[in-house]
Amino acid sequence: MNRLFRALQGFILPVLFLVVWEVWAVRLDNPALVPRVEAVLGVLFHPFSELIGTGTLAWNTAVSLFRVLFGFTIAVILCVPLGLCMGTSQTVFRLVNPLVELFRPLCPIAWIPFAMAFFGVTRVPQLFGVRYSDTILDSVQVGMVFIIFWGGLFPILLNTIYGVTGVRSLWIETARTLGATRRRIFRNVILPAALPAIMTGLRVGLGISWMVIIAAEMLPGSDSGIGYLIMYSYELAEMQILVASMVVIGLIGLALNRGLELVSLRVSRWQPLER
Amino acid sequence: MKNLVLNGVSRVFSGEDEREVEALFNLDIKFSAGEFVSIIGPTGCGKTTLLRLISGLEPLTSGQILIDDKLVKGLNRACTLVFQQFSLFPWFSVLGNVTFALEMKGIDKSRQHQEASALLKLVGLEGAAKARPYELSGGMQQRVAIARALAYDPEILLMDEPFGALDEKTRHKLQDVLLDIWQEKRKTILFVTHNIDEAVYLADRIVVMAAEPGRVVKDIPITLPRPRNRLSEEFTELHIRIRNLIEIPG
Repeated sequence: MNRLFRALQGFILPVLFLVVWEVWAVRLDNPALVPRVEAVLGVLFHPFSELIGTGTLAWNTAVSLFRVLFGFTIAVILCVPLGLCMGTSQTVFRLVNPLVELFRPLCPIAWIPFAMAFFGVTRVPQLFGVRYSDTILDSVQVGMVFIIFWGGLFPILLNTIYGVTGVRSLWIETARTLGATRRRIFRNVILPAALPAIMTGLRVGLGISWMVIIAAEMLPGSDSGIGYLIMYSYELAEMQILVASMVVIGLIGLALNRGLELVSLRVSRWQPLER
Repeated sequence: MKNLVLNGVSRVFSGEDEREVEALFNLDIKFSAGEFVSIIGPTGCGKTTLLRLISGLEPLTSGQILIDDKLVKGLNRACTLVFQQFSLFPWFSVLGNVTFALEMKGIDKSRQHQEASALLKLVGLEGAAKARPYELSGGMQQRVAIARALAYDPEILLMDEPFGALDEKTRHKLQDVLLDIWQEKRKTILFVTHNIDEAVYLADRIVVMAAEPGRVVKDIPITLPRPRNRLSEEFTELHIRIRNLIEIPG
């Protein structure tokens, strides 16, 4: 009984919120301003029906998600190794860190105009000389990938450096006196010891990447994605689509975070218990 | 079996204000193969530094370390070091910690499991192979650390206050475990401690050190037969003698 009640506690405020929303919508009676809850749910429960000529909700979600995963993967591939190098080598750190400090205060959204000017509407397949690949890649603009990359860059890089430099010297010395080579120390000591911090970086980075893609899609020149859907439904005063899109953004963000959190818990099971 | 010789070993640390601290000054010590030597002294006498120099984790400022007349350069492959606590790799299981050392030693994969199990049995932990280090008590963790060090199969086992963080009962138990292992494996053991009782109970010989600069003040052979009785008159006598050496600046 107690456990059931505790589990239900989390639902009290969301349900209350929905009730207040619904009452407000009915009283106001202006769907162009406040859509009814059932209208929003109607959009959410029909993810595969065509919306205002922009494709389906599912399609737009998939496009946004694909763009994020594309840019985020690049960020991981570049920033984790760079962070590992900066964390293990003083020389690399001294070389690269000034640039990091210089660019770090720049919010990724501040890069959007730059990316638009620089990359225009170039799509990823065009980089390989293909005009249309007839895959989802046709919806991935280079500029957007760039923005997502910047969103993920610093959390991943800084947490990786932090993770590596925070490895207890006792562990490294123990491995050395047991005859471990530098390569083995890196693989069997530094990497596992830094992994929890790296995973934190990935989680924060993915969260920011997801946030900035929505912002990037809202800008002129965008033609699909969940952010685009928000702006377009705003222009057409289709508020139920706008609100449904926002709900989807929240849910996807939650799912991405939870997914990485599960992986993170697996690799850092030892961490909280160790201290 | 190998003899370890220190010739005029010094270690100087330069402090923040350019002041130089002589952690160890002109040490000449000889350790014979198979000997159990306790190294004791007040805080700051350089006993931990001594082990770190012998292991090769830290460079000498001057002097030589020789093993069987061969000069030691860089990491000393004949040694391994057991720290006071928290040295186990928490991302490995207990067994994984031991097999790590076997792997470094180049032991064949197929034999690793069997050898690691035998070592865990030796330290009385055969049932805990799959446990994670953080699931174990401090005493059990130190048993694993000892098993892991033995897996490296060093000629010389360096121990830096390995039982210093344990309660007295556990400490006494582990002292006996260590003596049994020493009698079976016949390793040279250099055992740093600040506990006089522990030093007298364990060692063939006690090196008493003093600080500023770090140096040896006395080298005392212990000839009491084993197992030693902590309550015997001779034991107490030695205890008092060493305490006086440590407390009165030599």
